Amino acid sequence: MASDKELSDFLKSVEKRAFKRVAYAVRDDDAALDIVQDSMIRLAEKYIDRPAAELPLVFQRIVSNATMDWFRRQKVRNAVVRNFSEYESSSDDGDFDLLETLASQDESSATESASESVSRAQILLAIDGEVSKLPARQREAFLLRYWEELDVAETASVMGCSEGSVKTHCSRAVHALADALKAKGIEL
Amino acid sequence: MNHTHLRTYAPAELDALEARFALRMTARLTEHAADLPQDVSERLRFAREQALTRARAARKTVAAESTTVVGSGSTLSLGRGEGGSGWWVQVASVLPLIALIAGLVFIQRLHNDSQISAAAEIDASLLADDLPPSAYSDPGFVEFLKAPRD
Repeated sequence: MASDKELSDFLKSVEKRAFKRVAYAVRDDDAALDIVQDSMIRLAEKYIDRPAAELPLVFQRIVSNATMDWFRRQKVRNAVVRNFSEYESSSDDGDFDLLETLASQDESSATESASESVSRAQILLAIDGEVSKLPARQREAFLLRYWEELDVAETASVMGCSEGSVKTHCSRAVHALADALKAKGIEL
Repeated sequence: MNHTHLRTYAPAELDALEARFALRMTARLTEHAADLPQDVSERLRFAREQALTRARAARKTVAAESTTVVGSGSTLSLGRGEGGSGWWVQVASVLPLIALIAGLVFIQRLHNDSQISAAAEIDASLLADDLPPSAYSDPGFVEFLKAPRD
């Protein structure tokens, strides 16, 4: 059973990465914070009897499941909102505008960091942006494998796919990121 | 052109190159994640503390659940369950119930047997008696039996 200190140290070491990983997926900081908090509490309540060595894998799985649950709830909520909005003629424009604004923000940040003379903070921001643009499964595999440092089998078990799929997702993600950064003139 | 360049690498070499690039990327991501806004860091700290509080409560619950009361005959003993002996504790806690049910079944059978033997005794005494059994169906004779004797 993990002690208080082991659990605290583990959560402290993983919380920021977990937040960023969820924020990339849900694109909403508040929702990401809620998901991470729920995941921490679920880990503490349900899996406290597990040895400390098992916590990373269990926590990643909980975070992934909690993120999926969030998307499911959003899907249901959006379906309900859509059903109601069918009775209102002009309410579709709001959602559409929001999406356009987000897209244009992404583009503008990309063009700002396209030069070789951008500051370090801007490079970090650009990398952050490119990671967030990856397809969800590729990003998940990439972050679990290389940021959370899970091995291929562990990543596959968290993602619920085969090890071959993990390798393919990771490879594609790396190549996509390399190409995107090269196009922006950023070298690591 | 890039593809032809990649094809010259062996698969293991390509994996190593990808891993090296990925680790450089994630190092930058870590650097970027370290500069999270103060409010986000605070909320994460609060979430962590909440989780630790829940973990303490969960540990207490687990400890309370593992302290089981094992009854055996007329004695009661408090046993503290441990990791490997949990299964045995469960079996031990079911045994008294099984003994109780077996006892009840035994008592029921004993009762039935005693009832059957009592009825048989009555039948035997009736048949062995001088009085014929049909006499008991005679209302006058029944009245005679019920009447108090002097």
